[in-house]
Amino acid sequence: MGKKETVKEVDLTRINAIVSEYSEQKWALIPLLQKIQNEFGYIPPQSIPIIARNLQLFPSQVQGVISFYTQLYTQPRGRKVVRVCRGTACHVRGGKTILKLVKQHLGIEEGETTPDLEYTLETVACIGVCALAPNIVVGDHVHGHMNPKKVEQLFKNRRSRG
Amino acid sequence: MQPITITLDGREVSGYLGMTILELACESGIEIPTLCHDNNLPSTGACRVCLVENEQNGALLASCVTPIASGMIINTHSPRVIERRKTIVKLMLASHPDSCLVCDKGNRCQLRQIASDLGIGLVELQRIPQMASIQEVNPFLERDLSKCILCAKCIRACQELVVEGAIDYFRRGFTTIPATLDNVPLENSECTFCGTCVALCPTGALAEKEKTYRGTTQTVVQTTCPFCGCGCSIRLEAKDGCVVRVTPGRESSVNKGTLCVRGSYGCDFIHSPDRLLKPLIKVNGNFEESSWEKALQLVATQFQRIRDEHGSDSLAVLGSSKCTNEENYLLQRFARAVLGTNNIDNGGRLYTSASRVGLGSSLSFSGTTNYLSDLEQTELILVIGADPDSSAPAVSYAIKRAVKQRGVKLLLIDPRQTKLTLFARLWLRPKVGTDVALINGLAKVIIDEGLLDEEFVARRTDNFGAFGESLKKYTLKYVEEITGVSGQEIRTVAQLYARASRAAIVYGTGITQHITGTDGVKGLANLALLTGNIGRKGGGVYALQRENNGQGACDMGTLPKFLPGYRSVTDAEARKKFEERWGASLPAEAGLTALEIMEQTKKGKIKGMYIVGENPVSSFPNSRLIAEILASLDFLVVQDMFLTETAKVANVVLPAASFAEKDGTFTNFEGRVNKVRKAIEPIAESLPDWEIIMRLADRMNYPLPFSSLQDVMSEIEELVPSYEAYTDSERQDELAYGVRGRTYGSQLLKGFARFSPVEYTPQAEKRKSDYPFTLLTGTILYHFGTGNRSSRAWRLRKFFPQSFLEICESDARKLAIADGEKVKIISPVGEVTTIVKISDTLREGMLFMPISFSETPVNALFDIVLEPETKAPSLKACSVKMEKIPPS
Repeated sequence: MGKKETVKEVDLTRINAIVSEYSEQKWALIPLLQKIQNEFGYIPPQSIPIIARNLQLFPSQVQGVISFYTQLYTQPRGRKVVRVCRGTACHVRGGKTILKLVKQHLGIEEGETTPDLEYTLETVACIGVCALAPNIVVGDHVHGHMNPKKVEQLFKNRRSRG
Repeated sequence: MQPITITLDGREVSGYLGMTILELACESGIEIPTLCHDNNLPSTGACRVCLVENEQNGALLASCVTPIASGMIINTHSPRVIERRKTIVKLMLASHPDSCLVCDKGNRCQLRQIASDLGIGLVELQRIPQMASIQEVNPFLERDLSKCILCAKCIRACQELVVEGAIDYFRRGFTTIPATLDNVPLENSECTFCGTCVALCPTGALAEKEKTYRGTTQTVVQTTCPFCGCGCSIRLEAKDGCVVRVTPGRESSVNKGTLCVRGSYGCDFIHSPDRLLKPLIKVNGNFEESSWEKALQLVATQFQRIRDEHGSDSLAVLGSSKCTNEENYLLQRFARAVLGTNNIDNGGRLYTSASRVGLGSSLSFSGTTNYLSDLEQTELILVIGADPDSSAPAVSYAIKRAVKQRGVKLLLIDPRQTKLTLFARLWLRPKVGTDVALINGLAKVIIDEGLLDEEFVARRTDNFGAFGESLKKYTLKYVEEITGVSGQEIRTVAQLYARASRAAIVYGTGITQHITGTDGVKGLANLALLTGNIGRKGGGVYALQRENNGQGACDMGTLPKFLPGYRSVTDAEARKKFEERWGASLPAEAGLTALEIMEQTKKGKIKGMYIVGENPVSSFPNSRLIAEILASLDFLVVQDMFLTETAKVANVVLPAASFAEKDGTFTNFEGRVNKVRKAIEPIAESLPDWEIIMRLADRMNYPLPFSSLQDVMSEIEELVPSYEAYTDSERQDELAYGVRGRTYGSQLLKGFARFSPVEYTPQAEKRKSDYPFTLLTGTILYHFGTGNRSSRAWRLRKFFPQSFLEICESDARKLAIADGEKVKIISPVGEVTTIVKISDTLREGMLFMPISFSETPVNALFDIVLEPETKAPSLKACSVKMEKIPPS
């Protein structure tokens, strides 16, 4: 895990309030986790023991469920999620280089989030618009036919800070 | 039930509804390999190695999770099954390192065994190694997850048997591993190092941390754990006269394949370099090694001299609740028939005498009324004054399983927060020493609100009138004032307890070691009687027993008032029976209890003492005084494995063998008689206690007429009721349930149980301002008793090297003490020094210290105050003050 320093002070009373809605209802674990994630953007690790106690599970079990689902996160996410496609079509059109450039611009590795919580970088296997390869998705927006210039254009505000 | 018949490998076999194919195959003698299956765990069908073929539709089924159905035709070893099984194992091996040569699991590895049975050598598949080794510094176990096959036995054991929940699956797909919360090393997690998972792991992923390579086990012996009163079955693996490993016994209904850290990793004391190798005789203040001949002759001569000069009652014997039944039997026979005195007691006096007397007078039965397995069938469990997580882990596992898996309600009454509080529906925190008032308050609510089992009370009990009368003043308001627990909570607990159709009470030294111990026990028996929970499966009262054979030592008559089988020494008829058998006249007056023996020694009335396997200097209150008293004896003989604090003041020390070096039996807290079996020869010249007693009797010209231990057992079977045919291990369960006089099916031993009114008496709070803190003492999981054995178990010692004092944060702040700083704790009779550990388990004004560290003898703080009825010393709580020691 690590990177705890990026985790801001978490409102535990809010977590307690959400958790208490589902007291002692083991089946509710996943909806409960989703609700917390909706509220905080991720599931603060501090909430795991609270959830476990309320649902009469072990903290390790709650962690097991969170780590199983890719939709659940235990670290804060950036306001925008950048997904670089690593599908076959994007790969042959230079997707690897695009990923490398995005990493340079954002100053983070895959799966990481910038310290200002602006961007989270991920890769995806395919987004289904191979005709536009190489692709990246920023937030909900697809950017096709990527090249170094367009990458720079997209993240030009970041350069100076990096 | 209609049997279900299926065809298994061409043979017609029958089973019952709900049975799996694997179970039926196992019963029919057909072996199906498994990796993720264990009899103590529910099946999950994770590994698929156990697959079999259904001939009718060609389906391949995991036999461990497929129930049998009428008319099935199953092949367990058809070519198709074998081929698929091979593929599955090869896939596992493809991500498993080829490090068998250096793997500690060696020939015990189930994966390797199955691969070799299937004829799989090197795997031709592409290798996908999992590089996941975890650095751990604990001295107990090592995880090499590159060898993990994700069978989840460890996870299921942790969650479903031990109910600790330290680990679960983490992540998914190829990167899945069993992990702790945050994937931290085990020592930083909830793990208690019980070793259950290590014993279950089918590969080398979980292994013991070994100091050196130990080689292949030569012999395995099933015996009984020597630590607490649970009486868990353990397997001692030995090689070249050394015990190299301890694993849980798989078949026992007590531990169900689990153990605790003491059982799994605490038996190292057997090979401690501190073991006594030869008899020692003190010459001019120094011990000199001697031959058995010389030492025993000296002991015999001295005992004879003292007896002749001062009379038999100037001698006293302390037996041991750690020794076997046979040894205790011989010892009391030796004391009564050879020395001619009833001055014999055992260390159990300190822990469980309140139970014996309290339950004895209420129920006419002096111990736990039901079996541990019953506890999981109950509806509600009330735990009071007990921390079974530390003192009796197998009981704690059963309670937690009941709560987690069966939704049993747990009510907890304890001033200190324990691990069980997380599992409790309700937790009451009375002030220390106010249990009797609280229990009476509960009883009054039950009667006032008409929640009592009237039929049971009318038909099976007497003295109800006087009891009801005695409760008059215990109104909720009065009890609230005394205990500090809100009246509403008391009411709720009483209602929950009384309304449950089956409710069990579990209590420990938090009740028995108080100065009001016997009253507390009687109060609890009253509660059980009021609600008809005696003689009912799933009900009952569970008296936790501190030591492995506390029950047995008393059953065998290592008591000043009772001959074997609790027949009073003053009963001429009973005496006659033993006199005839033993060919000696027996003393007719009750002897002295352990602490009275010390008192009379101080007065010079007792001149000689024989202490077997006890360490009163550490375990009795006021250590300094006890040491002085023992040193003042004319002649003291101590028989022990180690040179204990007590042995140091002896004239002669006789080296005793450990539990691993002798045969015999221990009786656990349920009253179950468990076999102790010899795994190795006695170390050096040490001898089993029973043999030493026999040799000593020889020297005193009263040879005990036994040519073997079996003869001793035969005499016990003949003379001690409820031990008839106890050596017949085939009948062990049946005997434990039937013959031992259990109160089942409303069968009370003497027809009626008796309500015993008990009164709360406030303890004189003298000099409260001088000694503002209440110190509680207790067991911790990683050590045991006075620490003689556990501190010599190097792994326990390494992991938990020193004592500590727990204090709550606000008290620590007031005294400006930080975590880890040194303090001196002072009581009116003594002082000890230790380090501070700030803890949120205590309230203001309370302190806690563990008992098991001989360098920090917490009992030195206690004055000798005896419980009036049992003459047991109060050892649970005392008033102290504290001083910070500035760092030098």
